[in-house]
Amino acid sequence: MYQDGDESVRVILETKVRSKPFLPIEAESIIPRNFLKGTDLTVYEGNKERALSELFWIFVEGTAVSPDKVEVVLKGDTSRVKRVGEYMDTGTIWIMGDIGMHCGNFMSGGQIEIGGNADAWLGREMLDGRIICRGNAGHYCGSGYRGEKHGMKGGRIEVMGNAGDFCAEYLTGGEVYIHGSCGDMAGVEMKGGQLVIGGDATRPCGNMKNGTCMIFGTVHRMLPTFKKTGTHLVPDRNVTMDVYTGDVANRGKGSLMIKNTGPD
Amino acid sequence: MIVSDVVCPFCGCLCDDLELEVVGDRIVRVKNGCSLAEATFMNDTRLPAPIRRTTTGWEEISYDEAVKETADILKDADRPLLYGWSSTHGESQSVGVHIAERIGAVIDNTSTVCHGPSILAIQEVGHPGCTLGQVKNRADVIIYWGCNPTEAHPRHMSRYTTYATGFFVPDAHMERTVIVVDTRRNDTVNIADEFLQVEPGGDYAVLSALRAIVRGKELVIPQKVAGISKEQLIRVAGICKNAKFGAIFFGLGLTMSRGKYKNVRNAIELTDELNRHTKFVISPMRGHGNVYGSNEVFTWMTGYPFAVDFARGIAFYNPGETTAVDILRRGECDAALIVASDPGANFPRTAAAHLAKIPTVVIDPHVNATTALSRIHIPCTAAGIDAAGTAYRMDGVPIRLKKVIERGYPDDAVILKKIYDRLNGGWDHD
Amino acid sequence: MTELLVKNACVIDPLNRISMEIMDISIRDGRIVDSVSAAAEVIDTHGCLTLPGGIDSHSHVCGTKVNFGRYMSPEDMRAGRTPRSGKMHVTSGYYVPTTYGNSYRYSRMGYTTVLEGAMAPLEARHTHEEFTATPHQDMLANTLFDGNWAIMEAVRDRDVRRTAAIVAWTLSAVKGYSIKLTNPGGTEAWGWGEDLTSIHDLVPNFNVTPAEIITTMIQANELLHLPHSVHLHCNNLGKPGNYQTTLETFDLVPDNNNARQTLYATHAQFHSYGGTTWRDINSQAEEIARSVNAKPQIVMDMGQIMFGRTMTMTADGPMEFNLYCLHHNKWSNHDVELETGSGIIPVLYSKKSLVNCVMWAIGLELALLTRNPYQCLLATDNPNGAPFVKYPEIIGLLMSKRYRDEEFATLHDGTGQRTVVSSLDREMDWNEIAIMTRAGQAQALGITAQGKGHLGVGAEADIAIYPIRCRDVDPATEYRKVVEGFQKTMYTIKRGRVVARDGDVIVEGANNTFWVNPSVPDEFSVASDPEFVKKFEEYYTVRMSNYPVQDVYLPRGKCIRTEMNL
Repeated sequence: MYQDGDESVRVILETKVRSKPFLPIEAESIIPRNFLKGTDLTVYEGNKERALSELFWIFVEGTAVSPDKVEVVLKGDTSRVKRVGEYMDTGTIWIMGDIGMHCGNFMSGGQIEIGGNADAWLGREMLDGRIICRGNAGHYCGSGYRGEKHGMKGGRIEVMGNAGDFCAEYLTGGEVYIHGSCGDMAGVEMKGGQLVIGGDATRPCGNMKNGTCMIFGTVHRMLPTFKKTGTHLVPDRNVTMDVYTGDVANRGKGSLMIKNTGPD
Repeated sequence: MIVSDVVCPFCGCLCDDLELEVVGDRIVRVKNGCSLAEATFMNDTRLPAPIRRTTTGWEEISYDEAVKETADILKDADRPLLYGWSSTHGESQSVGVHIAERIGAVIDNTSTVCHGPSILAIQEVGHPGCTLGQVKNRADVIIYWGCNPTEAHPRHMSRYTTYATGFFVPDAHMERTVIVVDTRRNDTVNIADEFLQVEPGGDYAVLSALRAIVRGKELVIPQKVAGISKEQLIRVAGICKNAKFGAIFFGLGLTMSRGKYKNVRNAIELTDELNRHTKFVISPMRGHGNVYGSNEVFTWMTGYPFAVDFARGIAFYNPGETTAVDILRRGECDAALIVASDPGANFPRTAAAHLAKIPTVVIDPHVNATTALSRIHIPCTAAGIDAAGTAYRMDGVPIRLKKVIERGYPDDAVILKKIYDRLNGGWDHD
Repeated sequence: MTELLVKNACVIDPLNRISMEIMDISIRDGRIVDSVSAAAEVIDTHGCLTLPGGIDSHSHVCGTKVNFGRYMSPEDMRAGRTPRSGKMHVTSGYYVPTTYGNSYRYSRMGYTTVLEGAMAPLEARHTHEEFTATPHQDMLANTLFDGNWAIMEAVRDRDVRRTAAIVAWTLSAVKGYSIKLTNPGGTEAWGWGEDLTSIHDLVPNFNVTPAEIITTMIQANELLHLPHSVHLHCNNLGKPGNYQTTLETFDLVPDNNNARQTLYATHAQFHSYGGTTWRDINSQAEEIARSVNAKPQIVMDMGQIMFGRTMTMTADGPMEFNLYCLHHNKWSNHDVELETGSGIIPVLYSKKSLVNCVMWAIGLELALLTRNPYQCLLATDNPNGAPFVKYPEIIGLLMSKRYRDEEFATLHDGTGQRTVVSSLDREMDWNEIAIMTRAGQAQALGITAQGKGHLGVGAEADIAIYPIRCRDVDPATEYRKVVEGFQKTMYTIKRGRVVARDGDVIVEGANNTFWVNPSVPDEFSVASDPEFVKKFEEYYTVRMSNYPVQDVYLPRGKCIRTEMNL
């Protein structure tokens, strides 16, 4: 990503060893834009305010004048660092290992790449931008917040591994693509956007109002309130899907497509 | 001495018609109460004085020492947890919130292992409910879903539902239809007119099916849903639609089976759908006597009913992240204050075990499983027995608990206030 | 003894006929006095607008249904959060703030007294607990009687004395202040999922009509000499064509009291709709105002809506269910046995909605068309129409036609055909605004005798000093300054103590709760009536001895005693 004469900057943050490594760190200040002003940022460890440098070794390579040319790299044990990339609107973040909860919440632009696993609420209420998680994602990947009518509205989340329960809850727009399997109730309450699951899912799309969900693996405990309307051939995978509409319990007109596993 | 119209503080029913016979500082007889009430008032063995753990056992300490040490434990903690609150009165609960706000702690109550999912569901779709007297006076259809009132809320049916005489239901159970939904036959099933034996984890599917049938879309439903025949589902939906007033009560069978808050949400949405045809209400069977009180107090003070995190100075709420079980399971907290509850007995083992690894203080009238995990245990009054205060019934009605006897213990509200004052005084003011 | 001297205040005190006079106000031990010693602390306002503390005569801030609204709205809670700061506790919430949130925001705006719009007697304890946690405003509770079984039976029997006796017992038991009727009879019908559509419909099973309930309760109110009049949320709220119901209701009201109105009709905007459906709904504010202009016995408040998200919460259960059917938002319902009901649902008032635009216009029309500002008070039925923090904007709109026109230009273009606001030139002046936000409220609530709503000697020293030099500001053109000025006081003084300075609350509060204890002769008292007691114990689910609110819940209660007039 870093190229000579490109006026871009790479900020590398490597976690320091902590005396209480189980305390969560809240680091919503870690977004590319903030590093234009320097590295003098504040994070929180439990209820204590800390300077970024107290918890991370900081290395800066290059300079940049616009935030889209800022790349932030996180190394070390980042599994309990929360809220990285929150409200991010441009630039890139590359987390080499695992990442804590709420990564990329409210993101509206730029890209986050996670080398390991992501904890719960990855990309919550996302508006735009891209998140790629090479490992597994926890519960509530691409979901909304308690009580809100809408969840993720745009952008794209791609998880190479599996996702937990309630993936893409309240999905309103954008795309969530899980290569592996999902836990319980993926796509519950969804009302727009597209959810694609390469592997299995259990009880998908409960209360669905609208939007599209495609599942290429096995569906366990299919809900009784979806109505089969036909089939659909997915051209680039050469797979035939059974198409259902629902959730009838909720006056829903969503589209749930499940890989056809043979004669009915 | 006879004391009448006493409120039993044990479960969410908060029956207020008990008659106690008191001799000195002991209660010797309980009239009108169920067996749980009798145990509450009469098997009331207290820890005599505050105790502190030593390397070899326990030593007695004074209240002042206990307060001082508790304040020291909490003062500098990076992620303190204040948990419990459900068996004490609102006066203590409010001080708890003030302490949490002061020291940047997480404060949570027993909803977290009980009806937290109901609250989450209500936050998504609302709560179409009423006070229990509406059910008593009007309901001709009662549904118990995933709960066993015969055992857990023994007087619920005689005071509020099946057997209670109401203004519009003078013949009580003769005029009522009782429907029970559960995974197995429990005692409540014995009095049911309809029993739906649902497969474990199948409640959500059954609720979706019922909603579709009420909407007139029964053609979509398969012949069997989670072990229940379509024919029975249609019959039950018919009973509900033709009711004059239907009331659903639900418990851990919905809140703690797979899907949790989605199960409750589905039940609420079924109730909403039924309201287009007739009058229907839904209510959670709250377990602890004043857990709803802790929800109410937390809400009007912080905006959130449980799992409130003050680490960042403002109130933050995210069950799954700020709930006590999750925080303990992750080993996140470095100090704990447990008030009026028993996580040592009720929490998953990995979560409870963490309490032993950090300095934990218990404030409770009785020795319990959590005592074994704690460093200090401070005994106090038991709300409704030797302390008066406000409790909220499972339907939201606030009732004042009585002080029936005096046993020489300080009120936990007073103890907490002393801890708060110590935490407040020793700090630089803003 | 604490003394305070407020110097060079530009005072508007309508009840004492003072209008924009520069004067000093002397305060000792919480009351306004003739003069103070040289030792007094001095605040020099340098000619800034100084009014009696604001009084809200209808606001939903404390109690079961308000807390329901909070509890079910974590997404609103996170919209308005502040940390601990000095004496201020953490607050959360934008349209249903926590109790501290409400109290600090009211204090910031100079409000020192609030009437809670609705309290169900069975759940009064909850309201009082929240009153204590709203520490910077003196509180009063409107007590709900609209679906009260004992009342309806007494009304059916045409027994005014018994009706009064039940009111008396209940008010003193639950420490309420006044009689509130919300959709009278309708809330009982809602116990079965039904509603009433006319004030002459019979309440199922009780055989009384709303008209009978209203007229009997008005008689009972006056028989008991209650300081406030009956406070009514008319039947058919929110329905197109409902203005007829409102006019019919107004025609029932006699003129029975010399000191104040005989009926307080709350949030009149919601009751002033013409047309027959949502498609042809229009404003009938002119008809309503015409009726009120001819009836000194009626006072109303605007019930103004403002655009944006908010929460509706009322005892009008069936109305809230209708909103649910329309908008499918999350809906809560809470019927209270033998007494009343409630419903809660969030709403969005949008400029794209012609209906919402008509509603917005109606509230303003009511105020502008009512001749006497004492008869149309400023309120939004907080939070139903809008959160109370929007009051300054409403003041701006009432004082400036230009502001109204600018706003009007952004509305749905069909609004003009359904409303008359764009043709109204009236611009309220400072004096009229002072009446609509404090003097009128004090008079309507009957609390001038308690020293509220005015700045004469003997009054409680509740004072709001706004950073507005009203002699130098032209509200018709400089409405921005008006709005900003009313949003944040320089000083809010409560009972002689400065409680807020430049938007920060600086002390812990110690509010009073006003309640009424009407006494009736023993032969009429219901507490000793075996029939009343028997029915109570049989049909309620709490014991009669556990029902009354104990004294401990009102740490600084102020009891007003009245006598039944035979």
